[in-house]
Amino acid sequence: MSDKRALRIYGAPELNCPTMVVGWGEDVGGLGSGVTDYLIKKLGCQAFGEIEPEGFFPLSGVSVENDVARFPESVIYFCAEKNLVVFKSNSPRSDWYRFLNSTLDIGEHYYQTKEVYTIGGMVYIGAHTSPRHLVAVANSPEMREALAQSDLAMDINYETPLGQRPTLNAFLLWIARMRDLAGASLWVPVPFYLGSAPDPKAWRKIVGFLDDRLNLELDFRDLDEEVLRHDAKMAQLRSRSADVDTCIHRLESNIALSDAENEKLVSKVQEFLESKD
Amino acid sequence: MGVRIHKRPEVENPVLIACWPGIGNIGVIAVDALRGALGAEEFGEIEPWDFFYPKKVLIRNGELTDLEFPSSKFYFKKTEKRDLMFFIGEEQPTEAGRAYAEGTKAYQMANLILDVAAEFGCGRVYTSGAAVAPVHHSSRPRVWAVPNTDRLIDEVKGYENTILMSEIEGRGGQGNITGLNGLLLGVARKRGLDAICVMGEIPVYLQGLPFPYPIASKSVLEVLAAALDIEIDMQEITAFAASSEGEIERLYEMFPSEIRDQLDKLKTVAPAEPSPITEEDKQKILEDIDKFFKREPRED
Repeated sequence: MSDKRALRIYGAPELNCPTMVVGWGEDVGGLGSGVTDYLIKKLGCQAFGEIEPEGFFPLSGVSVENDVARFPESVIYFCAEKNLVVFKSNSPRSDWYRFLNSTLDIGEHYYQTKEVYTIGGMVYIGAHTSPRHLVAVANSPEMREALAQSDLAMDINYETPLGQRPTLNAFLLWIARMRDLAGASLWVPVPFYLGSAPDPKAWRKIVGFLDDRLNLELDFRDLDEEVLRHDAKMAQLRSRSADVDTCIHRLESNIALSDAENEKLVSKVQEFLESKD
Repeated sequence: MGVRIHKRPEVENPVLIACWPGIGNIGVIAVDALRGALGAEEFGEIEPWDFFYPKKVLIRNGELTDLEFPSSKFYFKKTEKRDLMFFIGEEQPTEAGRAYAEGTKAYQMANLILDVAAEFGCGRVYTSGAAVAPVHHSSRPRVWAVPNTDRLIDEVKGYENTILMSEIEGRGGQGNITGLNGLLLGVARKRGLDAICVMGEIPVYLQGLPFPYPIASKSVLEVLAAALDIEIDMQEITAFAASSEGEIERLYEMFPSEIRDQLDKLKTVAPAEPSPITEEDKQKILEDIDKFFKREPRED
């Protein structure tokens, strides 16, 4: 169900069958917001519309994060030079079908979007030093075929386990399929102990793919430096804490940790990454 | 947002029986048992995507091949004495994390169901749910009945093992029915359609547990079968209730003795008598049971 009343469009950029990239604010490893923020900044994307929050988010007040009041945001940006539309939003809390249709309306109705990519992180029980594979799920055999030439892990078979729910990206991808719009969701495994902090290595993986696929010609030096800084910080933590080093070493050797060890590792890494030094 | 009718049943003045999951799944177990016993046939559904978040994604070899949603289906059965329609929802449409249906989506769904009821000439609606009561699990659950018009009160009084709100001590005929089982009653009233909600009693101390309570479903099913003047085989639900009784009894034996002593007082209460447990006692018992289920595992 489309609902153009939910959309507020305040620009009219010149785009021709653009590609759309969608990222959500609440995501493992800060992937959704990290990647969309990076694209917006590096490509100088401009906002040209948004989805009004009413009906999709509880509007009983505001949340405060890091001393600042926050409000749900669902903003659409464009980069005419790269023929790209970037949608960055908080995850809606209700009326998802109408919200996701409105999301696709933005690009498809006004500019006949060609393809849509969603971004997501998935928690995995492994070490941050292990190689990361970019995983993709297509929403049609044609899209799967088109992506087969890229360096992606696509041999995925999955069913939502009982008691869990599909992701918002799966829902969006399914709606795109119903609308005959080619799409794929891109996933990077994020070590469980980095899930609540930004994981630049995971961002780099997705941005690298989008750069190749969409000919964005991005200069990654800043992100590569960020990855090195993050790696150095993790190495510093390992050298300071024998417990953390032992746990990560065991993960590197494919030895499972106990629940208590998992919790302790998450807490120590989070505390360290949030510290100022 | 809409309804898909796969097959148009030829029914005459049918009765609609609608329900959703709720406390102890009392209503949905009863209605689904009735539907199953009669062999009712599916004829339509409410399109789910406007109401529900999907429940399952299926990915095969890197391709998203299916997304499943909670179902909201219509069934029908022509019986010798009357035609029946069923509506069974797998979930209640909720908004922003609320436990039970309320707000715009719930109202829309209630109206869609009654649109279908009206389209097929339905003259009566039953809904079914749970009534949380200060009763003991060893006593036969009664059925609380709430009609949506005064005209139905005498009829409801004639149902066996059934009580009206005014017959429950301390209620004075007042109360609330949360969720769609209640909302549908109100929307039916607004549209001039007779409706009755029948709710099986569940002991107050079992309301928060994630178990079904088929003992009360059996009471509801008996009332529905009598009200609809149909005979059904009760063997299956009786067996389900018996197995559940055994599990609850085993759980009860694990409660600390001081909680059990308090709860045992409920065994003696007769219908419509004041509860032997005060509100203060009730709150304390619920807190103790909550603690009992949340307690940390200890090593011997």
